Amino acid sequence: MNIALFSDIHANLPALEAFFTDVEKRNPDSIYCLGDLVGYNIWPNEVVNEIRKRKIPTIAGNYDFGIGRMSNECGCAYKTESEKDNGNISISFTNSLMKDEERAYLRTLPAHIKVEFQLNEDKLNLLLVHGSPRKINEYLFEDREEKSMLRIMEQADADILCFGHTHKPYHRVLNSGIDGQNHFRHAINIGSVGKPKDSDVRGGYVMLTINENSSVLDKDSIKVEFIRFEYDIEKAAKAVEDSPLPNEYADNLRRGY
Amino acid sequence: MNILNDLYFSKEHTWVRIENNIGTIGITDFAQSELGEIVYADVPNVGYNFKQDEVFGSVEAIKTVSDLFMPLSGKVLETNKLLLKEPTLVNSEPFENGWMIKIEIENSQEIEKLLTAEQYAKITNT
Repeated sequence: MNIALFSDIHANLPALEAFFTDVEKRNPDSIYCLGDLVGYNIWPNEVVNEIRKRKIPTIAGNYDFGIGRMSNECGCAYKTESEKDNGNISISFTNSLMKDEERAYLRTLPAHIKVEFQLNEDKLNLLLVHGSPRKINEYLFEDREEKSMLRIMEQADADILCFGHTHKPYHRVLNSGIDGQNHFRHAINIGSVGKPKDSDVRGGYVMLTINENSSVLDKDSIKVEFIRFEYDIEKAAKAVEDSPLPNEYADNLRRGY
Repeated sequence: MNILNDLYFSKEHTWVRIENNIGTIGITDFAQSELGEIVYADVPNVGYNFKQDEVFGSVEAIKTVSDLFMPLSGKVLETNKLLLKEPTLVNSEPFENGWMIKIEIENSQEIEKLLTAEQYAKITNT
């Protein structure tokens, strides 16, 4: 079973189109979207509609949650005053673009998707969230202390936890087994299709492979592939520059931060 | 910035309120405002002993995780159960219902090493 997971498109239609071209070639068994369809670029409605027309199961990101409710708060935890000012421009611009039907779609997106496999007379829980199981906008960076990461996964009963939100992909395997019995849990940040922040300007997503031998007992029995694809970055960056959005967002796309 | 005069402060942004030999400990208004929305407070179980300046737990915010440092040596007597359901009390009421642990103070002479409200305000430019 090959499962494609993507998120954090952020209204970048050229990146989303390139993603579909890439992923459809690979012919996965299923595709899930982990949210943040909108914000930071000019195509929020188009991105919603491309995902809707393919009937891809999708969860809400923090930006979708805010725009869905016509809020002026996206839960983005900006640090500096200039980040906050730019963020305010983006959220009010996105609110002004968003059409009623597309906004209603964002408003009704679920928070989590749980997929339970029953293989080898054991269960294997895959949990899809945007930020973390407990908060839509929590940032789970790669350097999160193991104890904290394990507590979050154990409380959510997640053997494989997939999330986005930070735009920085990684895969960590943690062992929460006791008394010498292994119980491997996988924390997978799937990166970002339309606004990568890991210095690689290409769009990114994950292909997760679960096979008949996949189990919490064998850490190599779950395969995680990070896929990167080229897209027309200039088109996306120019669209930002020709809009009321701050030009810094164009630079983010050109340089991957 | 809200700083109360009946408290002592550590340079590591914890406060302690002393009543008899019991110290109630939390993080300061400055600390919570720097951290942002608190998601979880990881505090020790009752009965554990910690030395002054030792890490006794951590606080998990939306974007970052920060260690918690003991303002005074002592044994943990109680943890704040309210925070399990409502961790944002640390943001909204850092000096009241957002407290984290109560300790039995081991050595009251250590209080001399702590800062007054005024001194703490100075080091945080608040």
